[in-house]
Amino acid sequence: MNEPRIRFENIAKRYGALTVLDNPDIPCNGKVMNEPMVRFENVTKRYGALTVLNELNLSIARNEKVCIIGPSGSGKTTVLRMLMTLERINGGVIWVDGEPLTHVQKGDRMVLASDRHLRRVRGKIGMVFQHFNLFPHMTALQNCMEAPVSVLGLPKKDAEARAAELLDMVGLSDKKNHFPIQLSGGQKQRVAIARALAMRPKVMLFDEVTSALDPELIGEVLSVIRTLGAEHDLTMLMVTHQMGFAKEFSDRVCFFYDGKIIEQGPPDQLLGNPQNERTRQFLSAVLEAK
Amino acid sequence: MNEFALGFSVAALVKGALTTLVVTFGASLVAIVLGLIAGLLRVSPLWPLRWFAIGYIEFFRGTSLLVQVYLLFFVLPIFGVALAPWTVAIFGIGMNVSAYGAELVRAAIQAVDRGQYEASIALNFPRLTMMRRIVLPQAVRIMLPPWGNLLIELLKSTSLIFFITITELTAASKLAADATGNYLLFFAVALFGYYVIARALITPVVRWLERRLSSGFVRQVLS
Repeated sequence: MNEPRIRFENIAKRYGALTVLDNPDIPCNGKVMNEPMVRFENVTKRYGALTVLNELNLSIARNEKVCIIGPSGSGKTTVLRMLMTLERINGGVIWVDGEPLTHVQKGDRMVLASDRHLRRVRGKIGMVFQHFNLFPHMTALQNCMEAPVSVLGLPKKDAEARAAELLDMVGLSDKKNHFPIQLSGGQKQRVAIARALAMRPKVMLFDEVTSALDPELIGEVLSVIRTLGAEHDLTMLMVTHQMGFAKEFSDRVCFFYDGKIIEQGPPDQLLGNPQNERTRQFLSAVLEAK
Repeated sequence: MNEFALGFSVAALVKGALTTLVVTFGASLVAIVLGLIAGLLRVSPLWPLRWFAIGYIEFFRGTSLLVQVYLLFFVLPIFGVALAPWTVAIFGIGMNVSAYGAELVRAAIQAVDRGQYEASIALNFPRLTMMRRIVLPQAVRIMLPPWGNLLIELLKSTSLIFFITITELTAASKLAADATGNYLLFFAVALFGYYVIARALITPVVRWLERRLSSGFVRQVLS
């Protein structure tokens, strides 16, 4: 790795008791990451008596591609859902692009943020779901135009041009006037990706986006994600069961078990030579299923 | 049968049928508008609005329509509010039916897939825009068939307004039957009259709306 042009050495920044930056000397992909794009700080999530995530700490650098793997019930999807504000957190703070997502600074205390703040910060995040969640009463093109028009206030013509361009990118320009019901699973998921991208997010979340697809349709969706990662400045966080894809695509793989990150590292290391017993068990179970 | 009585009775019957039509139409509009509002308030995240809607629904659904109409017609004047019989008929029936309608609206909104709400949040829709653009278009499609039922119910409940001095279809038939002695004929006409109004006016509109809102959904194979 070349010597980075900018280098932060042991810089710390605190707001009261909250440490925002703590020795951020993390060169990543040859770039210096002065501040992570997403940071979970001691985030806890409970459903009643059940603790799904326990004091999670996880930083994701700008443009970093992180895959989350783990057995079901390990809390991996909850991580994405909390970041998308679909789940309320019970403790800790989530930082997005240097701003707290669900809280605001008031004096030296953190208080719950207003809806306006939440919506502003949330605008930086886009999400693609396992079950697509396309709007059934709108065509592919309308699905991609709706939010840019009614949320961002884009003129219809511009939104349509943007939507058409994105549908072209995911290889569906010939299907733009089709309703979701007329599309295959893989096509639906590609529309869903285009729809999320139309909001120009900085962070993209993929929640088991190939799990509901027939095996022969998985490839087309993964290849769109691959292109996206290569051609756009996007921070990507992906929950997946596609180990092969995780290995070739991601910068880092996190293994979740029981609400905690048990092991994380570069994909070659974590998937090729896992150190933790749980990781080894999980990977051999996944490989056996193939 | 006396020809004068017959001619007079037919004229009264036509007038009664028109009255039923007008009251049905007016009360339906009131029921749809208020039902939509009460149903939306019923699922509001703000509890005072929600509680207001619950109170409204419980009162109008839980007590007798006839007593409600009597209240508006005979009791309100005691407090200095004298309403015309037609106003009482249209708003009395409309408000009563809107309470049932509000529950249809609530059920339909809650029947829209959770994923639609989550996708709307992920795309950063403000709540009202989400309701207007994403949830309601899908909910309306779900609630149309039960609304069709409800409006047919409403049509038939208009016979109660005879008690506040309006001669509608049922009352006119009864008067005609009394005047001519031909009970079979006139009650058959009344029975058939309600069926024709429902079948010719309410059902086609509901079906047409259902078809219009069905683009993008599986056509009902079973219907």
